[in-house]
Amino acid sequence: MASTRKTLLKLDNVTMKFGGVTALNGVNLEVKEGEILALIGPNGAGKTTVFNVITGVYKQTSGIVDFDGISLGNQKRYQVTALGVARTFQNIRLWGDMTALENVITATDVHKKSGLVGALFGFPRARREETENRERAMEILRFIGIDEYSDRLAKNLPYGVQRRLEIARALGTGPKLVLLDEPAAGFNPAEKVELAATIKRVRDAGYTVLLIEHDMSLIMGISDRVVVLDFGTKIADDIPSVVQKDPRVIEAYLGVPADAS
Amino acid sequence: MKIRNYWNLRDFGANLWENASRPKRVAIALISIGFVALLPFMGASFLATPIASYDAVLVYPVGMFVLMSLGLNIVVGKSGMLDLGYVAFFAIGAYTMAILGTTTKLNTWEVMPIGIALSMIAGVLLGIPTLRLRGDYLAIVTLGFGEIVRLVLLNSSWSKGPNGIANVPMPPNIGPLKFELENQKVFFWVVMAMILLTIWMIRRLTVRRPGRAWEAIRQDEDAAELMGVHTLKYKIWSFTLGAAVGGAAGVLYASKNLYIAPEMFTLNVSILILACVVFGGIGNIWGVVIGATILGYLPDRIRFISDARLLVFGLVLVIVMNFRPDGLLPRKKREKAIVKREANA
Ligand SMILES: Nc1ncnc2c1ncn2[C@@H]1O[C@H](COP(=O)(O)OP(=O)(O)OP(=O)(O)O)[C@@H](O)[C@H]1O
Ligand SMILES: [Mg+2]
Repeated sequence: MASTRKTLLKLDNVTMKFGGVTALNGVNLEVKEGEILALIGPNGAGKTTVFNVITGVYKQTSGIVDFDGISLGNQKRYQVTALGVARTFQNIRLWGDMTALENVITATDVHKKSGLVGALFGFPRARREETENRERAMEILRFIGIDEYSDRLAKNLPYGVQRRLEIARALGTGPKLVLLDEPAAGFNPAEKVELAATIKRVRDAGYTVLLIEHDMSLIMGISDRVVVLDFGTKIADDIPSVVQKDPRVIEAYLGVPADAS
Repeated sequence: MKIRNYWNLRDFGANLWENASRPKRVAIALISIGFVALLPFMGASFLATPIASYDAVLVYPVGMFVLMSLGLNIVVGKSGMLDLGYVAFFAIGAYTMAILGTTTKLNTWEVMPIGIALSMIAGVLLGIPTLRLRGDYLAIVTLGFGEIVRLVLLNSSWSKGPNGIANVPMPPNIGPLKFELENQKVFFWVVMAMILLTIWMIRRLTVRRPGRAWEAIRQDEDAAELMGVHTLKYKIWSFTLGAAVGGAAGVLYASKNLYIAPEMFTLNVSILILACVVFGGIGNIWGVVIGATILGYLPDRIRFISDARLLVFGLVLVIVMNFRPDGLLPRKKREKAIVKREANA
């Protein structure tokens, strides 16, 4: 059962304030190894801020973020990635002038040892790592199902492929935990179904997934657990079928008390 | 649109190169290098520069501008950091040569690694605190650095202040190749060798991990860092390699000019080199080479119109940048898959 699994990520009483705005208010959150945890909530609830705090974009005002036994608070952003946390962006932030393959290869570089001198003089390790990275990146593109676009510039790719490339790039860093920020935004129902299958495949391949998503049916279909944020506060944390019926969740989403409707 | 098609040298060149077999590529490279190496012998042709000595012009400004532009292009073009103080590294190289050349028995080739190392150290020292800054802030700090270096040289006794340093020794001859003031062919070949070495270095790095890191930083630095790129480290590397090239150019310049003074290392030089990079095509090695060649050569070619030449120079800049805002040979990645598909169709 989920409860016997190891905790991979733990947010302990995390508060994040921007001046007068409290984006996160004492949030506790646990992500277990191998699960798909959905993070939902109305616009401005603080979902993206959770990702930003985990990945070091913002330093939390108070509280602890612990990943696999290591406190992320003092880590630089690239170190967080090296430890095994990768993310996508709500607003696509690919490197547009690189090809799809290069986007992923750049991500695969994080765990490699060879540096600038090796690259310059073509040391064997640098050459070997170049080949390994290229093969690994191609494998990931195939896994996500966008390998036919490998040589296209990211900025010229269709929107849906760009969203998938964001996921592929995150996987390129070889993460334990993948943070997906609204990966299905702007998708039609058919594309959403396809994406849900992809996310499941990602999990089944051994990655742990923390997923921000607005589409309820998508979430109910694939997530093991759902955490609901509202105005920076966690208001629910349970399996999908229970969360769906939670009156506070319904109120947060509809803006009226559940029994009044 | 028409202009673009006529002028699409970049794609023409890239196609030629991509479709060539390995021996053919070697042949293309050797013929091009041979052609450039013979340039100093063409002084009697339409290339001749009135008033100024033709082969001297090829060394400075043309060759030196190309070399420095390539160095600056690593910083500005490859990793997207606006450096307005590039002349500082040129000055450090030049003064290293001038001081060591006049006070010790070291010759130009022995000073070269020292000059390069000092420039690189300056690059790292400046880079560590400043490369956290971005965009305009970085531009202003580097501009300040360039001015500080010049003012220190102007006001220090070890640099002989505004008098500058005279009697800098020429490089020792390389076998039968003699360095002479009246005939600067050998100087030109040395600059050419340094340019080739720089191009080799940039090309090597561009297709491997450092080049990807720079490219990612240039396009979206936050995304780069969040995907695990140690951005500060690669920015410092970029800055330091640019500094190394500038320093190397400085050592050779002092040894060719035989006299240097702080007034030779003003902000104007930084701006002019930046203009070469932008004019040629920021981020594109061949664009930068062509841009620096034209901007280095043109003022001397039209020297006969004396005062009006700067006007013409400015006009050329404005007109070309109007028609080709990304430079003569713009950077643009081509999509291999598409190119191939079209070629087969
Ligand atoms: N850098 C910032 N400076 C100031 N306020 C911020 C900043 N980042 C987020 N906020 C505020 O924090 C709150 C939560 O924002 P966040 O982006 O986390 O919401 P979200 O749940 O991701 O919403 P959405 O569904 O619209 O993406 C909002 O009120 C937002 O205005
Ligand atoms: Mg958001």
